Amino acid sequence: MLTDITLGQYFPGDSLLHRLDPRTKILATLLFFCGIFLADGYTSYFILIAFTVILVGSADIPAKLLARSLKPLWLLIILTVGVHIFSTPGTVVFSIGPLVATIEGIRQASFMTVRLVLLILVASLLTLTTSPIVLTDGIEHLLSPFRRIGLPAHELAMMMTIALRFIPTLLEETDRIMKAQTARGADFANGNILRRIKNMVPLLVPLFISAFRRADELAVAMEARCYRGGENRTRMKELQYSYRDAIAFLAITVLLVLLGGLRWIAH
Amino acid sequence: MRNHNVKYLVKIGLLGAMATLLMFLELPIPMMPIFLKLDISELPAIIATFSMGPLAGVLVELIKNILHIANTQTLGIGECANFLVGTAFLIPLGYVYARRADYLGAILALLAGTVSMMFWASLLNYFVLLPLYQYALHFPLDQIVSLGSAANPRISDLKTFITLAIAPFNAIKGLVISVFTLLIYKRVLPLLRAE
Repeated sequence: MLTDITLGQYFPGDSLLHRLDPRTKILATLLFFCGIFLADGYTSYFILIAFTVILVGSADIPAKLLARSLKPLWLLIILTVGVHIFSTPGTVVFSIGPLVATIEGIRQASFMTVRLVLLILVASLLTLTTSPIVLTDGIEHLLSPFRRIGLPAHELAMMMTIALRFIPTLLEETDRIMKAQTARGADFANGNILRRIKNMVPLLVPLFISAFRRADELAVAMEARCYRGGENRTRMKELQYSYRDAIAFLAITVLLVLLGGLRWIAH
Repeated sequence: MRNHNVKYLVKIGLLGAMATLLMFLELPIPMMPIFLKLDISELPAIIATFSMGPLAGVLVELIKNILHIANTQTLGIGECANFLVGTAFLIPLGYVYARRADYLGAILALLAGTVSMMFWASLLNYFVLLPLYQYALHFPLDQIVSLGSAANPRISDLKTFITLAIAPFNAIKGLVISVFTLLIYKRVLPLLRAE
């Protein structure tokens, strides 16, 4: 039951989006989200869709992977569509029993669906083209200005990196402990809720103990290498902006100006 | 936090990894709307709070929810809710346990945490989280309520939704994680303390 977890979904590659700086990608994604909430009309949605198509084109990610990223939210999408089609008052198109669909409802539902799908696609593009470790590095850099007001940006990023690094290890460990306890007669699948809780204990205790042992070992290893936090730390891979990032920022600014302009004209 | 040593960082990182794993083992509860799901991912945060104080527990919650956003089903609103409610659970828990660190103290701490979680979850859902769904997705509140009435016909408006779904859900969640904590914390904690 635990083996099908995939955290993040990085797909290695060498496309334009892969080579952008993670800081650029994070900021641009956030700005794109603002853009989505600015849009309110056919033209602006059309511009957003065109922009997303260009992004997908320059990412070099198999369409199947992108489609898969939409899967966890299908329930939300279907609910949103249903709610909007049938609960917006306006000109009636057809009705199924007590449910009445209206033109305005269908229009609203398609806007909301486009909005949701674009949100998810762009967020997935970020995680598909950026490995979690690089993403964490980018977050650390973006948060570092807030260090002045006491935000421990480096420490947070370090803890997230450690967590990311050890999730697969602990997953494997869980699997091993489960098999070991099953071999000793433990039953994880049957019984009522109380029994199941009791049966989880022989799984959780060794898992905690193994996690602490690993924590101790890692702490010793880090101290032996004189790790002492973010001050003056050097890196093997420094983040560096290039001309590509300038182009990306220019593109997202143009998009926002266009959408803002359209909204301003409409009101 | 600058003065805390490497061990502090590493332990929180690993407990965060464990919490993230446990968050994937979520179960819906009968009689409750589908988006309320039960998991025991608070357990590592409780252990962190018992041994290193509430800040450590809150950091475990933070790591868990940030990493879980990659697999979100609710555009991150669910993760935001989990973080806030988890924090509401851990702060009184750490406060009580710091004053009385024995078995009875643990029971009182878990009780205080559960009560605080119920209170804050109801309040946050009423004023912030459910309206946020409405704003971000243009999802009308009565539709969320009707998701609730599909599971339990006595839910008819936002107030009954809070009292019959949100509050009991958090009571059950508090009870389940308390039982787990009491079953394992004594066997686990000495190892975390040993330096």
